[in-house]
Amino acid sequence: MLSRSTLRNRTFFLTFLCFALGQPGISQSAEEQLFSKSRGAMGTTFTIYLYAPNQAKADEELEASFDEIERVEEALSNYRESSELSRINRLAAITATTTDPEVFKLLQTSFDYSRRSDGAFDITVGPLMRTWGFFKQSGHYPTSTQLSHARWSVGWNKVKLDPAQRTVEFDVPGMELDMGGIGKGYAVDRVIDILRDAGVKAALVDAGSSTLYALGAPPGKEGWKVIVPRPADRLHAVSEVVLRNNSLSTSGSYEKFFRLNGRTYCHIMDPRTGEPVQGTLQTTVIAPTGTASDALSTAMFVMGPTAGGKLLESMPNTSAIWITNNINEPHFEQWHWPGRLCRTADHCVTAGEGNGTR
Amino acid sequence: MGGAAALAASSFAEQSAATKLPASDQVNLAIIGPGSRGQQLMRTFLRVPGVRFGALCDIYEPRWGQARKITGENTRALKDYHELLTAKDIDAVIVSTPLSLHSEHVTAALDSGHHVYGEKSMALTVEECGQMLQAVKKSGRHYQIGLQYHYAPWYREAIRLINSGKIGQVTQIYAYWHRNNSWRRPVPNNDPKLERLINWRLYREFSGGLVAELGSHHINFANEVFGAIPESVVGSGGVDFWKDGRETADNVQVTYRYPGGKTLFFSAITTNRFVGCQVQVCGTGGSIVLTEADGTYYYEPNTGASAVPEGLAVEHGVVTGASYRAELPYRGQGRPLTVPAGTQGNPDFLACNSFIDSIRNNRRPKADEQVAWNCGVTVAMGNYAIDHEARVKFADHVRV
Repeated sequence: MLSRSTLRNRTFFLTFLCFALGQPGISQSAEEQLFSKSRGAMGTTFTIYLYAPNQAKADEELEASFDEIERVEEALSNYRESSELSRINRLAAITATTTDPEVFKLLQTSFDYSRRSDGAFDITVGPLMRTWGFFKQSGHYPTSTQLSHARWSVGWNKVKLDPAQRTVEFDVPGMELDMGGIGKGYAVDRVIDILRDAGVKAALVDAGSSTLYALGAPPGKEGWKVIVPRPADRLHAVSEVVLRNNSLSTSGSYEKFFRLNGRTYCHIMDPRTGEPVQGTLQTTVIAPTGTASDALSTAMFVMGPTAGGKLLESMPNTSAIWITNNINEPHFEQWHWPGRLCRTADHCVTAGEGNGTR
Repeated sequence: MGGAAALAASSFAEQSAATKLPASDQVNLAIIGPGSRGQQLMRTFLRVPGVRFGALCDIYEPRWGQARKITGENTRALKDYHELLTAKDIDAVIVSTPLSLHSEHVTAALDSGHHVYGEKSMALTVEECGQMLQAVKKSGRHYQIGLQYHYAPWYREAIRLINSGKIGQVTQIYAYWHRNNSWRRPVPNNDPKLERLINWRLYREFSGGLVAELGSHHINFANEVFGAIPESVVGSGGVDFWKDGRETADNVQVTYRYPGGKTLFFSAITTNRFVGCQVQVCGTGGSIVLTEADGTYYYEPNTGASAVPEGLAVEHGVVTGASYRAELPYRGQGRPLTVPAGTQGNPDFLACNSFIDSIRNNRRPKADEQVAWNCGVTVAMGNYAIDHEARVKFADHVRV
């Protein structure tokens, strides 16, 4: 059931967070230590935290994890000419192009999110991003001709997937697939598979802080504490949640944007209008997988709380926060959010910097 | 990108691979050893139209589920490769097992009438490489060695430039594969029974170590550039840092001498990755540096003599002073190698696609059994030199 309300009218304290902090031995053996490693990948920095009996074991698991991220990037990058996605982008407007079951399934999943979000989530949005100058960090307002040309080459329903042949085919030239809204979440899920197979009981995989997955829980904890900061303000938190065997993703308009004539244009496009989404500052979604939370955080950003909440009704174990810009003041809405929401910076817990989960 | 532009920008090999094929052109593959490399090969082969996996074989059952996840179907899985080779509906077999098993598995697959894509290196010993070469010739089947950089577009472009004389006479190749990790794979639940199965690369019984697993790509390139296998090799290496029970060296350095004194130096270490994976081709007229992703050409400053008027140096005299010109390394950017239009693509995909093309059109693979043998014996001799801490002549061990 849809349950949205503004923070102004809500109580701050939710009993969900009354977890057993400090009680030892809930899920992890006491001998294990926390290890962490970061590495650049997929245009951001991945950080993995895990519990292991010693550094040698941690190094093995972390190396295997980063190898897996590299494998996924080599498949999905549209910056690498050698990637499978680049090969599809080169060929699919010419002929139906066969790909492997993994990539094909991820494309199916992506288009399923497109269908369910009425096109709010769309991996064909690349030509629009380019036209608005966001690929080269030179944002500008395009001409109407440029915009209509780009829109002609955008649309998830202009891509034909043939499951029998595992082929991808573009209906119109100039189309391209860009997994930027789902690829990092997918990579996070694959790392979690690797860690589970290796017997790791507790780990947190962080893809540039925008998508996180919490495997198990640290010793003596209910889960991994994650702080959701206020938009463009990492010192103050909107909320604190505990994740365990689920994922959280955040999309924000404050990392890439440009201003023109008093308006701010962010890098997140509404594929249906061909223009940057207006009015939304940040969305955060909790979902069972990294793939889902990554895709849904973008979809929620584009759809907004009303339509977004309706979509989440059909998706079990999801929750979300929307922060919109209401006459220069943040306005909060939520869907089944498990944590306390903080209305003003003054009342927020301090998020701090470099505290491990941000 | 419009259709015509896209056509120009995509490679011919990619385009032919993308074309839909009639069902009769389906190629049924089987794999022996779907470990981490085998699984990557499976994914890549499944990007070629009309390819299907009819069976897979691994003694370690968890691989079955992992491999079936890749095929997306309930692919027949076996523990005994003999049983796999009796299957009637398999056209070709991928062998991606530990190095010491290549000879047995590849030969059996060829003898049972299958084409084979065999992971590198060809075999663990010089003798086994020779036996495999004969087995391929006797079988009349196609055998392609898994040296995917043999198909890398920027490597092909480097070979073209070298053969055209662009960098003069190539006298030395310096090749590196430097990492900073233990080269270990995680063993599920630290089960000691699985250690050698998962980390077979670390044990001499199964593995040719860093020279075979990493150096073979560079060695194959040098063999092609110099047009021969080496005449001798000196080597060193040892288990000097990762003293964790492993048997293969954690650092190796081998120097191969080719006919005419041309030299390949290869180094692999596991304690520093500053240099990474690269090949420096040194010619009298320039250099080419190749990485896993690209290539760069560097010009060589002219070192030839110039005629000068006597008045400058003889009549006027030369001026003395304290000076020293350091021979600093070149720090310029170089010029990126441009891959010709229509040739780009992922090396793994181009290698796999080429193998399927060989089967469909009865074409000899580019990385055929002779390429495999050349590389395989060079690797084996490198390891022999490391083991014996000696200069080893190929003529004493290798019969060409």
